[in-house]
Amino acid sequence: MLLFAAILFWINSSLTDSFQSLADGRQRKTAVAAMGSAPSGDDAIEAWLKRISSQNDEFDLIFLRGFPEDEGGMRAFAGTPELEELLGSYEGTRSFAKGLESSMYDEVFQPSDRLTVRGETRRVLFAPAHDGETGDIVGTALFLISSSDFDSFLTLMRGLFILALVIFTAVFAVATYSRDPVTGFIILGLFTIVAIFVAYPLFEAVRLTFVQEGRFSLEIWRSILSQKQYLNALQGSIELGVYTATASTAVGFLFAFVISRTGIRGKRFLSAIATLPVISPPFSLTLSIILLFGNNGLITRQLLQLEGFSIYGLGGLTVVQTMGMFPIAYLTMIGVLEGIDSTLEDAAMNLRATRWETFRTVTLPLSVPGLLSSWLLVFTNSLADFANPLILAGNFRVLSVESYMEVTGMNRLGHGAALSLLLLMPTLSAFLVQRYWVSRRSFVTVTGKPSARLTDLVSPGLKRVLLAAMFVIIAFLLSLYGTIIAGCFVKNWGIDYSFSLSNIREAFERGWRVLLDTLTLAGMATPIAGFLAMIAALVLTRKNFPGKRLLDMLILTPFALPGTLVGISYILAFNKAPLILVGTGAIIVINYVIRELPVGVEAGIVSLRQIDPSIEEAAADLGADVPTIFRTIVLPLVRPAFISSLSYTFVRSMTAVSAVIFLISAKWYHLTVQIYNFSECLRFGLASVLATTLIVIVLLTFGLLHVLVRKNENLAKTVSN
Amino acid sequence: MDIQSKSVTLENVSKVFKDPQSGRDVVAVDGADFTIAPGELVTLLGPSGCGKTTTLRMIAGFELPTTGRIRIDTEDITLLPPNKRDTAMVFQSYGLFPHMNVFDNVAYGLRLRKVPQKELSERVMRYLGMVGLGDLAKRPPSRLSGGQQQRVALARSLIVEPSVLLLDEPLSNLDALLREQMRVEIRRIQKSLGITAAYVTHDRVEAMSLSDRIIVMNGGKIVQIGTPHQVYRDPADAFVAGFIGKVAFFPAAVIGIDEACTVEVRGKTFALPRFSERLRGAERALVMCRPESLTLLPPGEGILDGRVTTNVYLGHSIESFVSTDMGEILVQVDNPDARRVFGEGEAVSISFIPELTKALPEAEA
Repeated sequence: MLLFAAILFWINSSLTDSFQSLADGRQRKTAVAAMGSAPSGDDAIEAWLKRISSQNDEFDLIFLRGFPEDEGGMRAFAGTPELEELLGSYEGTRSFAKGLESSMYDEVFQPSDRLTVRGETRRVLFAPAHDGETGDIVGTALFLISSSDFDSFLTLMRGLFILALVIFTAVFAVATYSRDPVTGFIILGLFTIVAIFVAYPLFEAVRLTFVQEGRFSLEIWRSILSQKQYLNALQGSIELGVYTATASTAVGFLFAFVISRTGIRGKRFLSAIATLPVISPPFSLTLSIILLFGNNGLITRQLLQLEGFSIYGLGGLTVVQTMGMFPIAYLTMIGVLEGIDSTLEDAAMNLRATRWETFRTVTLPLSVPGLLSSWLLVFTNSLADFANPLILAGNFRVLSVESYMEVTGMNRLGHGAALSLLLLMPTLSAFLVQRYWVSRRSFVTVTGKPSARLTDLVSPGLKRVLLAAMFVIIAFLLSLYGTIIAGCFVKNWGIDYSFSLSNIREAFERGWRVLLDTLTLAGMATPIAGFLAMIAALVLTRKNFPGKRLLDMLILTPFALPGTLVGISYILAFNKAPLILVGTGAIIVINYVIRELPVGVEAGIVSLRQIDPSIEEAAADLGADVPTIFRTIVLPLVRPAFISSLSYTFVRSMTAVSAVIFLISAKWYHLTVQIYNFSECLRFGLASVLATTLIVIVLLTFGLLHVLVRKNENLAKTVSN
Repeated sequence: MDIQSKSVTLENVSKVFKDPQSGRDVVAVDGADFTIAPGELVTLLGPSGCGKTTTLRMIAGFELPTTGRIRIDTEDITLLPPNKRDTAMVFQSYGLFPHMNVFDNVAYGLRLRKVPQKELSERVMRYLGMVGLGDLAKRPPSRLSGGQQQRVALARSLIVEPSVLLLDEPLSNLDALLREQMRVEIRRIQKSLGITAAYVTHDRVEAMSLSDRIIVMNGGKIVQIGTPHQVYRDPADAFVAGFIGKVAFFPAAVIGIDEACTVEVRGKTFALPRFSERLRGAERALVMCRPESLTLLPPGEGILDGRVTTNVYLGHSIESFVSTDMGEILVQVDNPDARRVFGEGEAVSISFIPELTKALPEAEA
């Protein structure tokens, strides 16, 4: 232990020394070169000093002409009163005398003294000055060199030294004192990962919003909270969120109610349609809305010949977001409605309530918590949505797009970070409401006894109305998807509707490499995220250690963060030492892993909770160590959760956009961004082809998942009993 | 089957948990100190929450003792992780691997020990035969009955030939008939292998019928260690007496102690040959009477008058429930054909046979 510390210290000090000598050498050269030809006249010297000081803020210069021993004595040219005063106090010191002496012998001297000029610490350097013509030594130049670069390097070195020491101590302690070093290392590793890739970027983002020109300042926040442009964006985001959430919840409830409470056929088909938009890539619905209702849209222009109609703005966005997000509400509501024991409704009717009274007094009150939480879920999703408003917002402003524009358009990272943090506030409060209010009011009880539905809750007439509404929505949704597919085969949408394969050829010619990039990055992130999620879930469910809640919280945090915030904080944190990752594929992969980890971890925790801990204990008891237990027992048992978290990560990484748009580079591009670029240039045909490709990939992935998990169904039964 | 029997020693072992809700310390096991001899089956018996399972889990290595040491033979295993200990545990919920069939479950421990395939399958089949499951090797555990699952768990633990077998309420999930059957079987196998075993249960009948010795625990403390006969006939205190079997207590005044303890119960004096040493110097005592140490006499002749409420005829004996002003007392009348039996509703008087009782100190905290 001590030996290692000594080695670290030695490395640290020798590195520092070598940097110091390197820096010194450079400065010496500059100094000597500058003093090769000093002017001689008083006025010339003053002018020369002025020029130097105005050109330069790296150093200040005091020129000492002649030497004290000369018959004319020594004259100092300081330039400013402050430097003169400084010289007065420095003149008597030993280093000063030594500096003059070395200069007389034509040598550069650098004492370890530090002087303060204009509140800044300076290092001191004495250099001999030569007459330009004769080459004689005519005096001494006293440089006061800014040392902030150097000092910050020293600070960094010290920081790294301490960090290395801390890590080593932790590793050493775990290995020596823990009975279960593998788990210890895993926990240590998880903490390191979340500290670097969750906590640090967030901290950087927050910090940047309080810093202006290197100092603490509230300027950014003041401008954000006072300028109309930003306030409009905030208002727009909230407005859009409220409309979308309300509409989506209504549609979602309609679907959930019809599917769970009426005896219609084809429930599985309807359910599949209703969940389709959840997995469809960004831009796809927006794209087809533009193809149908845009300025040159099939319906608005070709069929109805409307003038002055614009789909861009709040109305169009609400429609697109509702179509894209009502599945979230549907999935929440179907869970709630199926959780309500239908014997309750039967009991109400048995007590002579009419159908409507039953619905109003039993079904509706019981589903209020579900309605609220689905509203909040859609609301937060709508706020975080980036892809749809990016294309469809028009003059309407929302926060997510605004923060993107600040960063990429204006290069104002601080403002971008602040705007996306603003986005976090409603998200966070919605989350807190959900967590502490709605969840407490949940009435859903799991009885475990599926009760047969005896009576329909709606009259045949009403049922027909509900069904009709549902089929209108489904038809609209399917026509949107149909439009994208049609868009691939049409020569030039809006102008020339003849059949053509040229779009497909061109799209793949131009997008092939991007598709490969996207597949590679998602393919790399998927197994990493999957394994990490299962390991983290295992540690969080089965082990007790200090800081467990903190780790849990940090792992789950990225789930609540809007993608734009994650993207901005990553470019802030990883575009500088010590970790320069911007521009690499690694930062994209890391971003995928960190963002999709929460869902995998949750799935892993849920399935591990259903597994009797004594199964793992039995394995340990029979001689299996932690890695063996993970490989032979845990992984096979959580296989369904593992596989679905793999496919989830893959699909989400393939369809990511909000964070990744900040992180892509010429070398590593993303398909969704390419779709965006094509639609920006109005090449909707090319965009359609890529969007369709993505949809196909996503569907294939889920098909594969279905096949793989189906095999495990009998296993799942065993685990739960 | 060459299992090397080894002893297990706990030296002043304590375990303190932190209560996650209140954050207060809870003493689960308090100064456990005992040795299980090689080849012996010892039962840890006590009500739920008495620390018996925690003690077992500390021997297995799933919990770390807060203080004290645990040894197998002379080797100190206090800090060894479970997978490095030569113990094998049978869990209350069996802990069978649901994704493996019976054969693979039993083979798991051998595979970890890199036993060659041929020897492995030969040994697995031998142990499956021993627990009577030879023909179910290919079944998944989900298609086994509770008793069969129990046997698989037992075979899986035994096949690694541990020096100590640990059983954590292994029969609690089985129905009464099966429980009795498995009890006999576990004891048979344990004896035939000569394996050292620690068995946790809260069922006194199970403990009495299985054990070489019983360790009675209460509130984290060991109250008595002894053979089934000792803890039944000669309990350390009123708690053990009550937990181990049906019992009636008569409050008594201590008159004197020499060879026997002379007490006065409701005006009559008895000399009790068995008494607790803690009674020396005490004024009050309890006379512990098992149902078979009580007798029924005509009214006025015994120490406590009452009336028979119910008679349960068991063939070799009759259980008479007598209602008295001390509550209902169970009296076992052995060999009913040879003595007078009081019918239901008859007035009786209860007395006891001093040689079959024990004087205990009054219940303390």
